[in-house]
Amino acid sequence: MFPASPKARYLSQIASHRFCRLTILICASFFSACNQDDHPASTPDEIILNQRIRSKIQTLDPADVGDTASHGVCSEFYESLYSYHYLKRPHEIVPELAAVMPEVSEDGTAYRISVKKGVYFHDAPCFPDGKGRQLTAHDFVYAFKRIANVKVLSKSWYIFDGRILGLDDFREYTKGCSKGQVGYSRPVEGLYAEDDFTLVIKLHRPWPQLIYWLAFLPTAPMAKEAVDYYGPDIVKHPVGTGPYMLKQWHRGIYLEAVRNPNYRQVFYPSKGMPDDVAAGLLANAGKQLPLIDRVFWRVVVENQPRWLLLMRGDIDINSIPKDNFGQAVSMGTELTEEMKRRRMRLKLFDEPSTFWLGMNMNDPVLGQNKPLRYAINYAIDRKKFIDIILSSKGKPARGFIPLIMAGYDETIREGSPSRFDIQKAKACLKEAEQLHGGPIPKLRLAIGRTGTVQKQTLQFLARNLSEIGLEVETELYDWPTYLEKMRNGSHQMFFSGWMADYPDVESFLSVFYGPNASWPNSTNFNNPEFNALYERVSVMPDGPQRTKLYRQAQRLVLEEMPCAFTYHRIGYIIHHNWLGNVKPDPYKADATGFGHLKYYTVDAAKRDTYRKTFK
Amino acid sequence: MTAYIIRRLLYLIPIVMGVLLVTFCLFTLVGGDISQQIAGKNADAETIAEIRHEYGFDKPLFLAWDSQFLAHFKKAFTFNFGRALDREKIGEKIFRGVGPSLALTVPMFFGTLVISISFALIVAFLRGTVWDHIIVFLCVAGMSIPYLSFIIFGQYYFAYKLDWFPIFYDPSRPIYLSIILPALIGIVAGLGSNLRFYRTIMLDEVRSDYVRTAFAKGLTARKVLFKHVLKNAMIPIVTNTVLSIPYLILGSLLLERFFGIPGLGYLMIEAINARDFFVLNAMTFIMALLIAFFTLVTDVCYAWVDPRVKFD
Repeated sequence: MFPASPKARYLSQIASHRFCRLTILICASFFSACNQDDHPASTPDEIILNQRIRSKIQTLDPADVGDTASHGVCSEFYESLYSYHYLKRPHEIVPELAAVMPEVSEDGTAYRISVKKGVYFHDAPCFPDGKGRQLTAHDFVYAFKRIANVKVLSKSWYIFDGRILGLDDFREYTKGCSKGQVGYSRPVEGLYAEDDFTLVIKLHRPWPQLIYWLAFLPTAPMAKEAVDYYGPDIVKHPVGTGPYMLKQWHRGIYLEAVRNPNYRQVFYPSKGMPDDVAAGLLANAGKQLPLIDRVFWRVVVENQPRWLLLMRGDIDINSIPKDNFGQAVSMGTELTEEMKRRRMRLKLFDEPSTFWLGMNMNDPVLGQNKPLRYAINYAIDRKKFIDIILSSKGKPARGFIPLIMAGYDETIREGSPSRFDIQKAKACLKEAEQLHGGPIPKLRLAIGRTGTVQKQTLQFLARNLSEIGLEVETELYDWPTYLEKMRNGSHQMFFSGWMADYPDVESFLSVFYGPNASWPNSTNFNNPEFNALYERVSVMPDGPQRTKLYRQAQRLVLEEMPCAFTYHRIGYIIHHNWLGNVKPDPYKADATGFGHLKYYTVDAAKRDTYRKTFK
Repeated sequence: MTAYIIRRLLYLIPIVMGVLLVTFCLFTLVGGDISQQIAGKNADAETIAEIRHEYGFDKPLFLAWDSQFLAHFKKAFTFNFGRALDREKIGEKIFRGVGPSLALTVPMFFGTLVISISFALIVAFLRGTVWDHIIVFLCVAGMSIPYLSFIIFGQYYFAYKLDWFPIFYDPSRPIYLSIILPALIGIVAGLGSNLRFYRTIMLDEVRSDYVRTAFAKGLTARKVLFKHVLKNAMIPIVTNTVLSIPYLILGSLLLERFFGIPGLGYLMIEAINARDFFVLNAMTFIMALLIAFFTLVTDVCYAWVDPRVKFD
């Protein structure tokens, strides 16, 4: 069809056309800029920590915080009255913005808290001359009232709901106000500043967990000037008292914080646990904090780039993605040879968490059939589940109290149906069928996420149950739909869990408390004896008697088995050897340093060497 | 022609209104109430009620002056999309994302276009030879490999192993450095289908009588291919090209996510994950406008590239 002239000549003619030249130019321009260094620019003596975040930071307003990433980052800008000792275990509460531990009335209903003097808010344009003013007790009163203000739509009202005298009335009052017209000067009987540096909190009834909530980010003080000045944009202008100040934030991409130059005198602890000296965790004892000048967080959602950035030395600390677990860890507890060659460090810790297959006690099939619930418990092969689904990052659960919390009961192992026993499962199922009056109908098992791991989790559990003859339909929902199902009680079985925010088992008990039915008590477990015990124990101060009652409460739940307790998660953190003073805190969001970065050190020379060696 | 353009612009009104109606129904009737999600898992009924009031979810859906649909309509036509669930202004989010998205997709678009058309011409010219077979085979292979595989391999090998490119977007460096690799991946991943498409078009043309005549007259291959064949193949090229332009603004969902490019693709994924219907509504409306507008541009371009096309 073409003339019989040499094609090579035609091709050279084509190649000389400007259209093709443009193609070559585009390709060449791409390659011309290759091989660039991609580490954050810094001044020579500045010490930078490169962190990563797995999901977008939603907000930097403590009252608005409801997700792990925001909580973690926000904790570097804001502080609370109390915090946990960085090194001591079990966790010990220590004053942060409070001068001393609170004075508590004999009946446990009144707290008098001295606020530390000489603490200043970050410099910000909302203050006269842009200079941060001194923190007072009024800032706590304002912050707590702001959480109570229904117009603020705070995600943290549940903390104070029905607890502080007069605060619920204040919330009622805000319902009638228009937005922006709420009078914060309106007195609240149980919340006021006795003077500029004394905060008084009066409670309806004893609330021993208050001290933990006062160490929780949402109760951080807020400067009213800042909230008034920034309006709804306060979510992106944190004005706290913390060791770091926001420098720049590109939502969903990165966030940069710099050392707060006005940070008060806060020193690295000089006492810790016996192992801490050998681990080098006391090498910086007595040094002024923070020890790092600048923190650079990148939002890296996908596992592959996050892992590659860690391997390249562009981020300093990370959790271990599932797909890279085998590359990083061998035998479950040790680093692989490759990681050792890179001088990485591995930190393992038990999380205060328990995950379970829950059963709706209001469901006509499950609720009235205890042998069926026992059969389900016996049918789950927890060890295999942990090995396959969690890559061994967990320990089998016998009850809901996690291993690291006071109240964990070793003795429940024997005789508890929270263990794999296929023969017993089949025997219980036979009994359950007799009670039901025929074969058990197909059961539904739901989960509140739609990822691969969630799908595999349900598949595994369904297969376990099918092995004893139970037919199970799995349902994956997005979180809001799942939550709606829990609230309206249309669920049957579900896979869920609970993680403690503070070192007190009380929050786990609340998950089985009858009046909390639908949420957080999604099993709708309602046992009068348990309820009475919970009401008694939840107002008791910490002590051996309370721990004993926690165990007793757990046994009441284990008797009825509204859940098949499956596993307690183990946290794995990997970091480079240039990052010092890393001690994971299981109660802090993410546990890769969030809220504790002021204690970290970075050896920049070691980092440079690594980058040159492993480039 | 002016009357035609005005008429077509008027047609845009019912199209855009239809899109608004469909998105509203999808997000409000099918999507369900998102107040619970905004309030957080521990919220009480009062907070949820306040959120419903704040966002207007307690208003009637359609038949009222203050209905949710009219508010949705007003937001769209005034381009005042309000605030996203993370309380940031949606307009600011979109404005900020357009630049990085275009920085990624424009080189990808032109790179793919120029390379595909050039190779398509050459392959059409070499039809039936071993080179033609090799290139067609490579195209089919390229089309068969999932897009994600290109990304994972490209990032691992060229960025991590060979260290030719940054692994991830670094805001302290110019954005173009972080865009080179994803753009190249986008070009390579898109070459297979595009080259095959343009090859088919070119083959139809090079078989035509006028090509034989041109060669018989002694014209050079360059002149025949680029002046005659390319010009006659412009109608499908224009259709394919101009209608792709609106999607350039939308960015590339996967590439932006893997390489941390702060564009609109990233924004869309975030909005989908967070069920942020306010952002999704705004993006859908803007896309509908752009697609409708560029469809009109395509029609106008037909007359420009092919004198036989007349406006009636």
